[in-house]
Amino acid sequence: MKKTSIIALILIALAIGAIASMYGDASTYENFEVALNHPGKEYHVVGVLNREKEKYYDPQKDANYFSFYMVDEKGKESKVVYHNPQPADFERSEKIVIVGKMEGDHFEASKILLKCPSKYNETEVKT
Amino acid sequence: MSSVTFIGEHLFWGNLGHTAVVVSFISSILACLSYFFAERNPLDQSWTKIAKYSFHLHSLAVLTIIASLFKIIYSHYFEYHYAWQHSSTDLPVHFMISCFWEGQEGSFLLWIFWQMVIGQILLRNAKNWLNPVMAVIMLSQIALTSMLLGVKIFSYKLGSSPFELLRNVMANAPIFKTADYLSKVKDGNGLNPLLQNYWMVIHPPTLFFGFATTVVPFAYAIASLWRKDFKEWLKPALPWALISVMVLGAGIIMGGFWAYESLSFGGYWAWDPVENASLVPWLILIAGVHVMIIHKSTGSSYIVALGLIIATFLLVLYATFLTRSGILGNSSVHSFTDLGMSGQLLVFLLVFVILAIVLIAMRWKLMPRSAKDEEIYTREFWMFIGSLVLVISAFQVILTTSIPVFNKLFSANLAPPADVIGHYNKWQMPMAIIIGVLTAVANLLKYKKNTNEALKKMGLYALISLVITLVLYYAFDLKNYFYLGLLFAGVYGITTNLILLIPFLKGKIKLAGASVAHIGFGILLIGVLVSSANKQVISINESGTALNPEFNNKENVENIYLERGKPNKMGDYIITYVKDSVQWVNTYYQVNYKKLNKEGEVDYEFNLYPNGQINPKFGLVANPDTKHYWGHDVFTYVSSVPSGKAESKYINEKTHMVAPGDTIYTNNGYAILQGINTNTDANYIDMKNFQVLLGAELKVYTLDKVYDAMPLYGVKDNSATSYEALVEEAKLKFRFVEVNPETKKITIVTSEKDTSGDFIIMKAIVFPMINFVWAGTIIMIIGFFLSILKRIKELKISN
Repeated sequence: MKKTSIIALILIALAIGAIASMYGDASTYENFEVALNHPGKEYHVVGVLNREKEKYYDPQKDANYFSFYMVDEKGKESKVVYHNPQPADFERSEKIVIVGKMEGDHFEASKILLKCPSKYNETEVKT
Repeated sequence: MSSVTFIGEHLFWGNLGHTAVVVSFISSILACLSYFFAERNPLDQSWTKIAKYSFHLHSLAVLTIIASLFKIIYSHYFEYHYAWQHSSTDLPVHFMISCFWEGQEGSFLLWIFWQMVIGQILLRNAKNWLNPVMAVIMLSQIALTSMLLGVKIFSYKLGSSPFELLRNVMANAPIFKTADYLSKVKDGNGLNPLLQNYWMVIHPPTLFFGFATTVVPFAYAIASLWRKDFKEWLKPALPWALISVMVLGAGIIMGGFWAYESLSFGGYWAWDPVENASLVPWLILIAGVHVMIIHKSTGSSYIVALGLIIATFLLVLYATFLTRSGILGNSSVHSFTDLGMSGQLLVFLLVFVILAIVLIAMRWKLMPRSAKDEEIYTREFWMFIGSLVLVISAFQVILTTSIPVFNKLFSANLAPPADVIGHYNKWQMPMAIIIGVLTAVANLLKYKKNTNEALKKMGLYALISLVITLVLYYAFDLKNYFYLGLLFAGVYGITTNLILLIPFLKGKIKLAGASVAHIGFGILLIGVLVSSANKQVISINESGTALNPEFNNKENVENIYLERGKPNKMGDYIITYVKDSVQWVNTYYQVNYKKLNKEGEVDYEFNLYPNGQINPKFGLVANPDTKHYWGHDVFTYVSSVPSGKAESKYINEKTHMVAPGDTIYTNNGYAILQGINTNTDANYIDMKNFQVLLGAELKVYTLDKVYDAMPLYGVKDNSATSYEALVEEAKLKFRFVEVNPETKKITIVTSEKDTSGDFIIMKAIVFPMINFVWAGTIIMIIGFFLSILKRIKELKISN
């Protein structure tokens, strides 16, 4: 076999490996139900903040504890705990993406992504 | 609409700008076609002439667009949507320049500008390659200028004009029913606070210059296929490819500087989709340059060199599509507004992909190939392997970055990996090790034939490097044996290339670009390794236990609560939030750091001023502040600040019964009762009023200071009066309330200032050896620069 062919084979193997690893490591967008059934596995959950229920952040007691209630796209609600300060602009968010896993009674978020209304695209003229 | 005549609008500049866009678009079509026919009819000089004049007209039009847009932003003509959306009256001039490219249209304009400048250079230098190369570049220019047209063709809107009027964009807003609506639009939306940073003034133009240059080697490659000239294209294309490597590299690293200086994720690289999208073409281009050099030196690997150079430009277009079509959504910090141009961007990409594929297919059989098998014991072989490793590395990055695209294509619901950094590292670290080692091995070998001499050197240098690696491993206190491999790769690359550099030091440094660049890469590798492996979050609260059992049971408690004026121990530092001050729109929080030595004494101190901008649109936008030492950086930012200010109120009263020598504990420090003074000379009290006046002599210890305090207790006619002692800096109040003669004890009541509402939450990270990252990249860029000089010289000699 020519060396070029060997190299080509290795290259293909690595490419397949990269695809497999991408697929294997990729998280998925799921809801709380799925996360609840697979505790310990990390997911992306999309939802909205439940404004009726209290969100808790008291930096004097613990600057690294923030909790709130989120309703996922299927309408299921869960408590979410985020061991970081409350993200800026959290109140204005219209959509939240949380990354993390279910831990007992709550969803332990390692990341919070906020979708805020017209953050970059103002649609109203202020006068 | 037409019934209203609006007052105060400056329509001239918009009309001028828009006309210039149309002229630039049409003239680029004209130039493209003329260059095309000039290439087809080499005997007919008139095509070349038409092409040249239309290109000059095009250049003039591009400059006019830029001038008009800048005039609109600079003069605050908020009747224009672009100025209204991206600028405001309070911005300093250098940030107005950033406003220019904050939006999609402006950044396209930047790209168009650079491509035009490059065209002007080629007009003078490209000689007999001018026609086909310019035809390709003008084709790209057609695509780019079409993005600015903002013209409706049937129902499809082609491009988005930066000269659109506010009243047309928001046609339904009631405000535009009045003729003097402009008197009510007093200010624009302002510049995104994250972009209010000096790096944002130079990073985008550099990056777009880098993007723009990739079209040149691409155009030469296409011209090579077109002319069936598989050899000569390389000489002029190589210096351009190197320029592209240098500028794009500089642009990417400036983005890293910006992220490190002004974003609060804590680092210079986050594997953000937009960062990845610019990194990938760069990696492929570096691979391409290496294979081009192989081809130049040995005549083999033409197809791979050509393929990589073509892929670079296509990847730049793909990156443009990814970042501007809105497909990345919120997964990136660089969110361009989706202007609904994804279709147009896709067409742009596909036109060039198809053009390249068709041409390659047409010329496939003619392309030169080497029949013999590769020799392992040569430089070209290992350079080739190194290039393939770069390709794999780039492939892995673009694959994961493209997850949103796969979701669209296959309607899947994949999300980016939860542990993004871990995911990329497990691929990129081994790749980096191989590449580091290859920069040593390949450079020790010669092209085509080698003796055993090279092998001996390889072994010897590897041995030397291994010793240095082990020393550094312990010096840097790295705790993972996997890092040994990376460290060795870096050290081996640096050592070998330094030795290779020696003969060039006597005035021939210009020829040593490759060695210099490879040394830079080695240093970069070590910097990345040590600064991320030994990165230490020091803002971990060590002062006490949590109140809520649910709290503090996590490892990722990385933010510390700091009351104003109250020192806190954090790692080897005592930190105090001293005060805040407001400058322009930003609030600066002064944080004092006192570094402790091993004995617990203060070694040295410094202040950092992380700032926050409470932006009405973005909430708290925090900018970090960093103290730079040669060996490490201390990086700090505020992650949360209170919304209101606290009143002066003392709370948390506690009663202590103490005898001299006893200690009183409070949350803010402790106090020792030294004794009871019966002969106080407190001049503020009329002592005659009392039969007895006692003073409790207290020494108050906080984390870093000692204070004296003396609360007083006076008795007259069976009624007692207490005088509080206040230790302002320690936020403590002491009240002497009672004397108990039987137990020989006195009663002291302490209270603490209520500082809720006067605090910051901050995070602090120490990055060791991060200067290696910057130094490594700068040396690499110098290396690229030297290589460019060398290749330009070669080109001149061959001409």
